[in-house]
Amino acid sequence: MLEQQLSDLESAALARIQDARSPQDLELVRIEVLGRKGSLTLVGKDMGKLPPEDRARIGKLLNRAKQELESASESRQRQFDAEALEIRLRAEWLDLTLPAPGPQMGHLHPITQIQSEIEDLFVSLGFAVLDGPEVEDEYHNFDALNIPADHPARDMQDTFWLSDGNLLRTHTSPVQVRGMERLGPPLRMIAPGRAFRNENVDASHEHTFYQLEGMMIDRDVSVAHLIYFMKTLLSAIFRREVTVRLRPGYFPFVEPGFELDIQCLICGGPGCPVCKQSGWVELLPCGLVNPNVLRMSGIDPEEWNGFAFGLGLTRLAMMRYAIDDIRLLQGGDLRFLQQF
Amino acid sequence: MKFSYNWIREYVPALDTPARQLERLITIRTAECEGIEETGGLLARACTAHVVSVEPIPGSHNVKAIVETGVYGRKVVVCGAPNCRPGMFAAYVPIGKKAIGGVESDGMLASGAELGVNRDDAGILELAGPVGAPLANCTPDSIIEIDNKSITHRPDLWGHYGMAREVAAILRQPLRDPVQPSLIPAGPASIPSPINVDIQDLDLCPRYSALVFDNVTVQPSPLWLQYRLTAIGLNPINNIVDMTNFIMSELSQPMHAFDRDLLRGDTIFIRRAHEGEYFLALNEQDYTLGPSNLVIADAQGAVALAGVIGGMDSAIVAGTSKIVLESACFNAAGVRRTSSALKLRTDASMRFEKSQDPANTVRGLARAVELLQELSPGLRLVGGLADQRKPIPPPPPILLPMAWLVRKLGKEVSPDEVRDILERLAFGVSQHTPGTFSVTVPSWRATKDVSVKDDLVEEVGRMIGYDSIEPKPPAILTTVPPANEERAFHRRVRAAFADQGFTEVYNYSFVAEADARAFGMQPADHVTVANPIAPNQSLLRMSLLPELRANVLENSKRFDTFRIFEIGREIHKQPQGLPREIPHLAAALYSKDGDGAAGLFELKRAAECLMPGAETRPTAARPYEHPARAAEIHWHGALVGRLFELHPSLGEGGTAMLDLDLTLVQAAAPKEKRYTPFRRYPSSAFDLSVVAGERELVGDLRGKLAALAGPLLQSIDYQRQYAGPPLAEGTKSVSFRLTVGSLDRTLSSEEVSEIRARLIDGMRAQGYDLRL
Repeated sequence: MLEQQLSDLESAALARIQDARSPQDLELVRIEVLGRKGSLTLVGKDMGKLPPEDRARIGKLLNRAKQELESASESRQRQFDAEALEIRLRAEWLDLTLPAPGPQMGHLHPITQIQSEIEDLFVSLGFAVLDGPEVEDEYHNFDALNIPADHPARDMQDTFWLSDGNLLRTHTSPVQVRGMERLGPPLRMIAPGRAFRNENVDASHEHTFYQLEGMMIDRDVSVAHLIYFMKTLLSAIFRREVTVRLRPGYFPFVEPGFELDIQCLICGGPGCPVCKQSGWVELLPCGLVNPNVLRMSGIDPEEWNGFAFGLGLTRLAMMRYAIDDIRLLQGGDLRFLQQF
Repeated sequence: MKFSYNWIREYVPALDTPARQLERLITIRTAECEGIEETGGLLARACTAHVVSVEPIPGSHNVKAIVETGVYGRKVVVCGAPNCRPGMFAAYVPIGKKAIGGVESDGMLASGAELGVNRDDAGILELAGPVGAPLANCTPDSIIEIDNKSITHRPDLWGHYGMAREVAAILRQPLRDPVQPSLIPAGPASIPSPINVDIQDLDLCPRYSALVFDNVTVQPSPLWLQYRLTAIGLNPINNIVDMTNFIMSELSQPMHAFDRDLLRGDTIFIRRAHEGEYFLALNEQDYTLGPSNLVIADAQGAVALAGVIGGMDSAIVAGTSKIVLESACFNAAGVRRTSSALKLRTDASMRFEKSQDPANTVRGLARAVELLQELSPGLRLVGGLADQRKPIPPPPPILLPMAWLVRKLGKEVSPDEVRDILERLAFGVSQHTPGTFSVTVPSWRATKDVSVKDDLVEEVGRMIGYDSIEPKPPAILTTVPPANEERAFHRRVRAAFADQGFTEVYNYSFVAEADARAFGMQPADHVTVANPIAPNQSLLRMSLLPELRANVLENSKRFDTFRIFEIGREIHKQPQGLPREIPHLAAALYSKDGDGAAGLFELKRAAECLMPGAETRPTAARPYEHPARAAEIHWHGALVGRLFELHPSLGEGGTAMLDLDLTLVQAAAPKEKRYTPFRRYPSSAFDLSVVAGERELVGDLRGKLAALAGPLLQSIDYQRQYAGPPLAEGTKSVSFRLTVGSLDRTLSSEEVSEIRARLIDGMRAQGYDLRL
């Protein structure tokens, strides 16, 4: 009799749970059946009135009905949760093609980029990166580099003279001298930086440009080493195997002095407009350090020797990025700078 | 410097390497060639023609000429030259038929300029005949242009003979010397010259040689000579001047001819000019000289500026019949000083400043004797050689250890090869000791170019070919290079600003006076350029701001909002020595719209990314700063820069600017990082809202609260501020969240309340209302 009542109660409650239209509905059913005054709870309270021989059996039935209904209610609740989540997620649709707020990433100057790259390359080869003043004295810019006053080589470098007798360095080579004075041999150093020549500006000439001076002083440095070094370096810079050649070039601070050419990267040698049909592109001056230069910096040329070279960062940047007007580099025009 | 291939071949008769190939060899072995220019192309087919008849063409200034060419037969040509007349001999070129003004012209009669033999384009070239003959010694030529910079150190390469010596050495071919020294009269007793030479400064003029000629006829040079000079860019003038230019271009020995009859006295003085001495030069300019200038003078005064230019008053003219021919050697530095001081660069000064060879003067004269016999028939040499010189001991031989040479080159070279190379270049080579040569330097290489064994490395290296040296890795110690902290720091700064959206610009080190003034700097305080490229680039920048502002103005024409920065050096004048160069970061944020506040705060944030915890303290504005929007940036106790809005008078739209002294920022940056364990005891937080005057600084209120809070304060964070009802007009409420706690216990609620009460009482005592 009681079993039947329990069973009816359970099926009615189950049906209501399934029929609940909302979490509130469900909660109502749960309270009405399983709450403190719920119909099933009340059945439990009447258990005491049962004969002892029925109590255990009915108790078991009651518990099972409770569990069934709780589980059904939870499962229905989960359905509601899932539906609610589904609705929320659908409502949270977002147009991710909208532009991101805040400033875009800024841009480093092309010379900065190429310079950093080359600095890192040299540091990995054990070279120190040195700095020197942009306003130099005549001694460090000329005399100590074996270019005394009245030397015609001074014509090769049109100089900005300052009213105090100093000058704007015409090359980064004076940093060599300062490096030798400060650090002594053996020495491996580069000096990237700004240099100045007093010439009129046009698409291919600038009075302000960037160079990277390099020098290695050791006990036994040969032309063969210089070629090796330049080839290794330039292959790294151009990210491919390059062929280099040396030919005589005159720079008072080196002896012998060379112009280093690389085989044209555009045509690979047969000749094209870029290399003016010669197959070679002049890239940098270099040479074995002139013994006078070593001596002037207090280094004994019988004991030490070395090589030096000057890399035109401006030129390199123009080559790499196909920049056809040198004035863009100092022009501050964002249409240009934002391309790097 | 231009070199004629044909001219070089006069001294290297076996030369048959094509000009293009020769150009490449010279580039690799000797000096940089800048290109080849073909000249005199028409000469290949030109011949002498007789003009048989000339008849006018109606309605044209041209004439129709019948010419007999011999080789090409009789031709009809149309000619516009005023000197075209029957009976003359002219140069005919068969260039094909062309109708000119209705008349068919079969070929042309050419002017000297058209043929390339001289610059005369006023009429057709007049020849002497015979019909059909080619133009004597005038054939098509290739002109090789050598980069002057690459022969700065080679006095000998400023003449064709010197280049021919290189060519002969490169090609291993014989070299023919054009000079016959025997043409200078000499005998058991020296023959006196009719002119005396008196060098008063043997350092500035180590040698002066001269010959005197009479019975001179001044006339145009023969065509071959005009052609040689024209081909290398010189202008033919007359036989005497052309001869001196020819020898200069051949032997690299500048010469000068004086009209003997215009020289006063019998002595040529080589002396320093008197202070204020007047000199009228051949270029029709007059100069006021001083003792730093060396002059050639006669009894009355300067007749030439030594090594630079001759004088007008003693110049060769049409009627000159007696000449003094000077062939001298002047000190390189002296000539250079005079030439740069007077801004007068000549073919002569360009050569002398490369340190010419004193032994060359008499060679030049010997060559002149030979040439003048052809150029001025009937001319006579008067007396012997006038020659004064400074005794110059031959340079000591250079010891060249083979092992050392091989080490320097990094390539094995045999002693025989070294000897051969040096001897081909006219060095004297003898065995000094086993393994070491003793090398004597030819006089034309000894003036400056070659003096130590390192110079010989170049001679051997270039001739074996640097391309024959195998690259070899150097054996050097592995060392970690010393760090460059400053550069590393600047890199971090760059990266930080680029990450924040700022784009890097590079500006010049020069600033215009007006721009400096606009930023409150006086031109007089700047380091100034003595020879600026333009008047507005005469000051070295003491601040990066003026140019950054120019960048802003320029870019604001195209962009409504942008961020830029530069890292560069400020240059500050010092009482003595070199100026101070201080690396600065300058950044600007431009926004066309808005009230400028957002830009300033964004820039402040960028600064704080670089300098966490930096303090921005409002300060009195400078004239170029917005008077109510200027602040100092302090970091770890140091004043490191400024943040401000550009004064509206300096640019429309809002421009926020930041200027940091990177030396100071780097010095203030904490050097080490250290981990602090987390707090073990919970903290307590509470909010306070302070009512203050509307222009009271949040930073000040925060500072006051912090001071009152005591040592248990962990953090104090600004929350928000509010102005409006119900607050009184002119006031605002600023809310802060304060967090308090202790490292060794949990604070009791009484302790927290006590701190809060202290803050409230303290602020009230200072006159602030609190909203609780």
